[in-house]
Amino acid sequence: MAEVLFFLAAALAIGTALAIVLVQNPFYSVLALILNLIALAILFLLLNAEFLAAAQVVVYAGAVMVLYIFVTAYVGGSDQPVIPEGGVLRTIAPFFAAAIFIELSIAIVGSGLTMLDSSGAEISAGFGSPAQIGELLLSRFLVPFEAASYLLLITAVGAIVLAQRRRGLEEAEL
Amino acid sequence: MTSADVLLQATPAPPAVLIQIATSIVIFAVVMIIVPLLTVFERKLLGRFQSRYGPNRVGPFGLMQPLADVGKLVFKEHSTPSTGVGWLMTIAPMIAVIAAIGTIAVIPFGPVGAWGDFGLYGIDVSIGLLYFFAFGSFAFYALLLGGWASGSKYSFLGAMRSAAQLISYEVAIGLSLLGVVMTAGSMSLVDIVEAQSGTWFGGGGWFIGPQIVGFLIFLIAGFAETARAPFDLPEADAEIVAGYNTEFGGMRFGSYFLAEYIEVLVISIIAVTIFFGGWHGPGPEWLAPIWVLVKAFFFVFLFVWVRATLPRLRYDQLMSFGWKILLPLATLNVMVTAVLVVLT
Repeated sequence: MAEVLFFLAAALAIGTALAIVLVQNPFYSVLALILNLIALAILFLLLNAEFLAAAQVVVYAGAVMVLYIFVTAYVGGSDQPVIPEGGVLRTIAPFFAAAIFIELSIAIVGSGLTMLDSSGAEISAGFGSPAQIGELLLSRFLVPFEAASYLLLITAVGAIVLAQRRRGLEEAEL
Repeated sequence: MTSADVLLQATPAPPAVLIQIATSIVIFAVVMIIVPLLTVFERKLLGRFQSRYGPNRVGPFGLMQPLADVGKLVFKEHSTPSTGVGWLMTIAPMIAVIAAIGTIAVIPFGPVGAWGDFGLYGIDVSIGLLYFFAFGSFAFYALLLGGWASGSKYSFLGAMRSAAQLISYEVAIGLSLLGVVMTAGSMSLVDIVEAQSGTWFGGGGWFIGPQIVGFLIFLIAGFAETARAPFDLPEADAEIVAGYNTEFGGMRFGSYFLAEYIEVLVISIIAVTIFFGGWHGPGPEWLAPIWVLVKAFFFVFLFVWVRATLPRLRYDQLMSFGWKILLPLATLNVMVTAVLVVLT
């Protein structure tokens, strides 16, 4: 059962990841991204990470992606290409993609493949439960956790400041 | 229920998987029987509120009205506007129903031992409430995709309204329940109900007392989450025809309708589970699911009552109410509860 689910979710994840890049209409691209996030949530569930899976669906698929859909539904038309022709980004993007691909390949071949024959790490009871994650966040990972929340606070304040500055500017490109 | 007990004792205990499948089917069937009755209940009650009878022609007291409605809807044509996207219009109502039914799985109707050696719920997960929210956030996409795929201006406006409304109130509804989660020390709905066992006819430990602010926020945000009056802006019929479901007909429209009533029932039962002691009540233990449904009935009544009484909010009122009143209030509630939990 778990194996079947894994391959279904993995195939869905890869397929939708390809669709995100290849689909021309940005709206469908976002839909593919949502499916991709859901497939990843299923993979998290198979790894006993219930909380992470739920957070993934609630926060990313449920909230962040709604905003993406909002924007693409309002402004994105299928007649406009997602990436403008030419430009610097177009020329350097393949190099970055290749670099990330090589880096990930090294990481996977170097560490992941040796684990294929094993049955996975031992997990204790209550692993991945909200209580355990909360305890880790407030003890072992306190500093990164606080740093991340400051980052979020700063972006929230920044968004308000930017929105305030643009108020009343009708001719500005919004 | 004694005959069921005898049956269980006489035969060797069936495997746990079979029991779980049986419980799931029974819970699903009970909910699916209640939901059509809710539609006729609402229509009759709305009639009473407006000094008329409501449906009373089909069957005794009009009780067969849902059957007639479904029969009509099933045989109606599915039309797709020339600007619409056909396959998305097919999928969107399905998402609505899947998201609504998915939430039923975590609702606890009774403890282990009420009807036998198993709990009367689909599953008891440690992330219970988050599971509920995860499926709730799928429900967005039904409205959003349905409205977008219809390719009509009214549908699009309805879809955009629903996106903004649901995302605004989801924050408040999540924060409103955090106080209960902290008091009970768990997100599992079964644990939350068990934390509310008390004396005084089983009502001493209910969270409605200490978490009254959280309950009020949950109730208001719950009305907004189900997109019902006075928060039915996504389908405000006086402004945007029928909003996101304008272009839907037949059983596609029926699916949205079905999902809405399941959500009303689920939100009512969740309110009972979290704030009103769930299955706790006077009488023998096997009454547990009856208590859940009886208590939930009052919330369903409240849903209809509010719909018949209050006018629809204006859109900017809705937004400023959600962000400027409910959200700060919910945050304050969480902070006060946190301090109290640590001190006591």
